[in-house]
Amino acid sequence: MKTDNDGMAENAEWFDPFTRWMLIIMFALLAIIFIAAKYMDMHGMQGGGTDDTVNAMASLAAHAKSHPFIDLPGDAEVGAFSVANFFAGMIVGHNWKKLFERGKED
Amino acid sequence: MHIEDGILPPRAWGFWYGVTMLFIIPGVREIKRRVRENLAYKPFLAMIGVAVFVISAMHLPVPVTGSCSHPCGTPLAAIVAGPFATAVISAIVLFFQALFLGHGGITTIGANDFSMGIAGGISGYLCWKILRRFNFPLWLAGGIAGFAGDVMTYLTSAFELALSLHGHVPLVRQWMVFFAGYGPTQLPLAIAEAVFTAAVLQVMYSRRPDLLPGVTGGKRFNGIGKAETEGY
Repeated sequence: MKTDNDGMAENAEWFDPFTRWMLIIMFALLAIIFIAAKYMDMHGMQGGGTDDTVNAMASLAAHAKSHPFIDLPGDAEVGAFSVANFFAGMIVGHNWKKLFERGKED
Repeated sequence: MHIEDGILPPRAWGFWYGVTMLFIIPGVREIKRRVRENLAYKPFLAMIGVAVFVISAMHLPVPVTGSCSHPCGTPLAAIVAGPFATAVISAIVLFFQALFLGHGGITTIGANDFSMGIAGGISGYLCWKILRRFNFPLWLAGGIAGFAGDVMTYLTSAFELALSLHGHVPLVRQWMVFFAGYGPTQLPLAIAEAVFTAAVLQVMYSRRPDLLPGVTGGKRFNGIGKAETEGY
């Protein structure tokens, strides 16, 4: 991205090398997740979390009922995860510029 | 490794809170010291904190076992931010995961932090230090550290459960029973964590080697993003 003297963007590329690599990695990871999920669905696998499995085993051993601190119903968990990750992304992006942005001498 | 509320008896979760505090107190000191030494450490720690939050909440499907689990991110955090500082950021991460995502519990933050932030972080950090001392390549040392830290996290978590719940069953047998719940799914993810840790360390080495303690041969930076000298 080129900037003028005031630091304002003059010309922003759609796919600069960083964005391109991030998108490639993201789509590769998403492809792995979707293919794995499809395979599991085709073979009737539940796809539950190991944390839940072991917590259930431990509850049986303890003769006690385990519970998360807050059990979000339905899609609320997706919403909470999205909100948390949105702001996590903003924080990472904000600090990324401070730490990893190449200076003019580079 | 997110043990939920209600499983560990009060004596057990109180014990793990106590043990964890032994690492959190020097962790707070480590953070204060490194903030004074390097201006970049504070934003860097914030970034590492949110990275651990996302990585350790990201459930990935493993088709060979038909279940999902998550990597930890703490071996990488311990290498770049320090092992004791990782205990602190991991405790904060686990608090927010319990509060907002229903992962883990409040009473079990001590036990979960001990497995993920302390055992996972320190084992990864020690692997890294030892292998680098023997001049292993950066990517290989980082990869092995990521793998070892991930597996150690789940071994510790299974041990914490077995220690409290083994009853009349031998401790080691109960430990392996709980680990069998994690292990088959976790091993492929530990390999993924190894690749991820190695890749991030390699990228950091090329961009900000000053943020990798003990790694020499690159640019030295003073403060935020200012290259000063070569080859320290």
